[in-house]
Amino acid sequence: MQHRKSRHVYGRGHRSVLFLSSRAGSDRPSRGTRVYSAARLGVLAALAFSLLMSAGCSNQKQRVDEISVSGSTTILPIAEQAAELFMADHPTANVLVSGLGSSAGIEAVSAGTTQIGTSSRDLKEEEQGLGLIDTPIAYDGIAVIVSEENPVSGLTIEQLRSVFAGEITNWSEVGGEDRPIELVNRDEASGTREAFKKIVMEDKPFDRRAAVLPGTGQVRDVVARAPGAIGYISLGFVAPRFNSISVKALKIDGVAPNEKTVADQTYPIGRLLHFFTKGEPTGLTKEYIDFVLSDTIQQGVVVDAGFIPIAEGGAK
Amino acid sequence: MIDKRLTNKLALGMLWGAALLTVAVLGALLLYVFINGIKVISPEFIFTWPQGVNAEGGIWPTIVSTIYVTALAMLISTPIAVLAAVYLAEYARQGKTVSSIRFAADSLASVPSIVMGLFGFALFVEAMGLNLSMASAALALSLLMLPIIMRATEEAIRAVPKYMRWGSYGLGATKWQTVSKIVLPAAAPRIVTGIVLAAGRAVGETAVVLYTMGQAVNMPITPLDSGRPMTVHLYLLAVEGINLPAAFGTALLLIALILGFNLSARWILKHYRKV
Amino acid sequence: MSEPTEGHSTGTLQLVSRSTYVKETLLKSLFFACAFVFVLAVALIFVFVGWKAWPIVTDYGLGKFITGTVWSSSTEEFGILPLIVGSFIVTLGALALGTPLAVGTAVFLSDVASPRVRSFVRPAVELLAGVPSVVYGFFGIILLRSLVAQFSGTLGFGAFTAWVVLAIMIVPTIAALSEDALRSIPEGIREASYAMGATQWQTIYKVVVPAAKIGIIDAIILGMGRAIGETMAVLMVVGNAPVFPNSPFAPLSTMTTQIVMDMPYAVGLHRTALFAMAAMLFIFSMLLVATVRLLSRLRD
Repeated sequence: MQHRKSRHVYGRGHRSVLFLSSRAGSDRPSRGTRVYSAARLGVLAALAFSLLMSAGCSNQKQRVDEISVSGSTTILPIAEQAAELFMADHPTANVLVSGLGSSAGIEAVSAGTTQIGTSSRDLKEEEQGLGLIDTPIAYDGIAVIVSEENPVSGLTIEQLRSVFAGEITNWSEVGGEDRPIELVNRDEASGTREAFKKIVMEDKPFDRRAAVLPGTGQVRDVVARAPGAIGYISLGFVAPRFNSISVKALKIDGVAPNEKTVADQTYPIGRLLHFFTKGEPTGLTKEYIDFVLSDTIQQGVVVDAGFIPIAEGGAK
Repeated sequence: MIDKRLTNKLALGMLWGAALLTVAVLGALLLYVFINGIKVISPEFIFTWPQGVNAEGGIWPTIVSTIYVTALAMLISTPIAVLAAVYLAEYARQGKTVSSIRFAADSLASVPSIVMGLFGFALFVEAMGLNLSMASAALALSLLMLPIIMRATEEAIRAVPKYMRWGSYGLGATKWQTVSKIVLPAAAPRIVTGIVLAAGRAVGETAVVLYTMGQAVNMPITPLDSGRPMTVHLYLLAVEGINLPAAFGTALLLIALILGFNLSARWILKHYRKV
Repeated sequence: MSEPTEGHSTGTLQLVSRSTYVKETLLKSLFFACAFVFVLAVALIFVFVGWKAWPIVTDYGLGKFITGTVWSSSTEEFGILPLIVGSFIVTLGALALGTPLAVGTAVFLSDVASPRVRSFVRPAVELLAGVPSVVYGFFGIILLRSLVAQFSGTLGFGAFTAWVVLAIMIVPTIAALSEDALRSIPEGIREASYAMGATQWQTIYKVVVPAAKIGIIDAIILGMGRAIGETMAVLMVVGNAPVFPNSPFAPLSTMTTQIVMDMPYAVGLHRTALFAMAAMLFIFSMLLVATVRLLSRLRD
């Protein structure tokens, strides 16, 4: 730094000259102070920035119209993909999709925190009077799955009920190997669980010792890898997608689950997938629901996801 | 009676073993995440949105959500924590008040995250009407960050040599002038370290943000918008178990972010140690 | 700390102007307010969570709540004994597994490692303490669970998997804090022991560790606090069955995991029960903090 040398030559008297150059030597504030000033500046800048953002952007949001769709994890894939396609066609609309479980969705839509509550189960008795309008969007079968290594290929509904109630505890009791049955259940927010409970269990309670898993994918993965496990998932998830591991779907009362048997109800464990709204759907909500019921989605996304379009099959 | 030298050797060997095991297990975990995650990392992964049924595509909105909420929490907690530390280190006299403040700080630091999440939900989301938003989450996170920053600041202030203060008082400065112009700037590096470490903790929180920010994928613009942070995204991907590559990628980026914070905290400390 | 310029306008000598005095006092009050925020926050948590949890006492019965053995929300039975037991099983197992490893590592770092080795290992341990719990849970669910499933023939969810995951999580925390405690023991004690002919190991386990006992116990208690409050990692591997497990490989549930599982859809008394569990967790963590503070006071 040349000015340092010059300082020695000129001495302190000529300091005024040095102010032209960058502050050096003893004129500079200490490092700590610099950090401090920099930090203060940073904080102010960030504060200003966020104020600017909230002021400016609250007036001109990119997507003006916003609806929230939440509920069933089974319906989540359909809702999400439909939302993406919908938003591509409607640049001013924002559709927020989340999946916490059918019960959560129903609670949210009746409380008003979401516009569409998706559910893979019907309304319970105590939920009937909440003013919710039902728009079914697809059929679904619930497949009972076991690992491919399990020699058992089918059960009756009564056997299934006893297995999940914890009364039958060994595979040998239903024609399989001598191996304890490992139950895999879904969490209580799950519409799949509710539907299974209503159709299969009727009034018998689930065995509380069953492992409770919060996601369809997890149930499938766990069952696929454990020879003694049994669980239930939506038919649409039985076929392998991302990974190569596969599961086996049991025949129930002699009927194997597939699109045909679910649609004509020869397969006993089937259900409707619902979109619930508080009152008749209007505005953006109605547009989105209509879009989901259109052929684009029904014959595309719904079928791809392994469900059955609502137009086919008899009403339940 | 076994020779004491033999026991010594055996015991030392076991201690080496313990340390190696610790480092090895944790290192293996990180390596596992790294190897599986690095395949997925690409500019697309970082900067695009999740698409499709199984969050294929990228994780950009989650990265933004994480950084946004952490920055907001830093803004909220830093002034309060630093000034509180100033009080404790410079003004307060040992007694019941100070004792209870410290007890409160320690308690706040050890609150189970689920309790903080429920509290945040009950207070910020419902009672204060902020709904699931960056604001609610930032407020809840700042409660967790407060004790960390305060502790670091207090230690930093106490580490400032007394002669600096005396010099200042000797020149006739008031207390506040001394604190703001001499003590705090001198303590600044350690304070910044504390802030960065606290931010690292905030980035890794899951339960707290789950209940205050929700989980809908969204790009947050105002503090009242909701979003999905990286930790929640990782949790959902892991639990669904379908799109594992994306999960590994998210985990890797998350770890990288936190390690980045921690390493820079150390670097700041080392670099400015002279002060 | 004496400050000669703190303004007291006495009759005889006024050191600062009135305006400065006012400003200084206001600033001091501001700082006090900031410090008080901590107390306020803790009080608020107490009040809010407690208020939401209170109906469990009036509408359900505290005794029935704590000692009941059936947790079944569909039949409105909220006995949390299996959950309390689950929390303890998971925590104590993790501590049993992790503490020896952690304290061993701490002793290694403070007494056995050369400065070079230490400069590598200690930062590694500290950095690892910052890895978030979801990542551990992720590791547990992806890798550990299938391993455990394979060699135990069960699903792989249960206490054992949770022990391993939690132990890995709390080791860095306990190790770092224990090492701090060990390093604060003055060198002189060790030298005295060596002078009497003790080997390094004898010095460690007869002299150093007992001297640092309280600090190490502090570290363990804080690790315990972290383990009990841990949610996400445990949630992913524990199996979530609210029953008393009959084997280390059977699914069970803890207070924290049950809250996370049920919260999205819980209403009414169910939600109150969840808040009540949260209140209990909070009280318990405060008790742990109080214990640590008490022990520290004993040490001084």
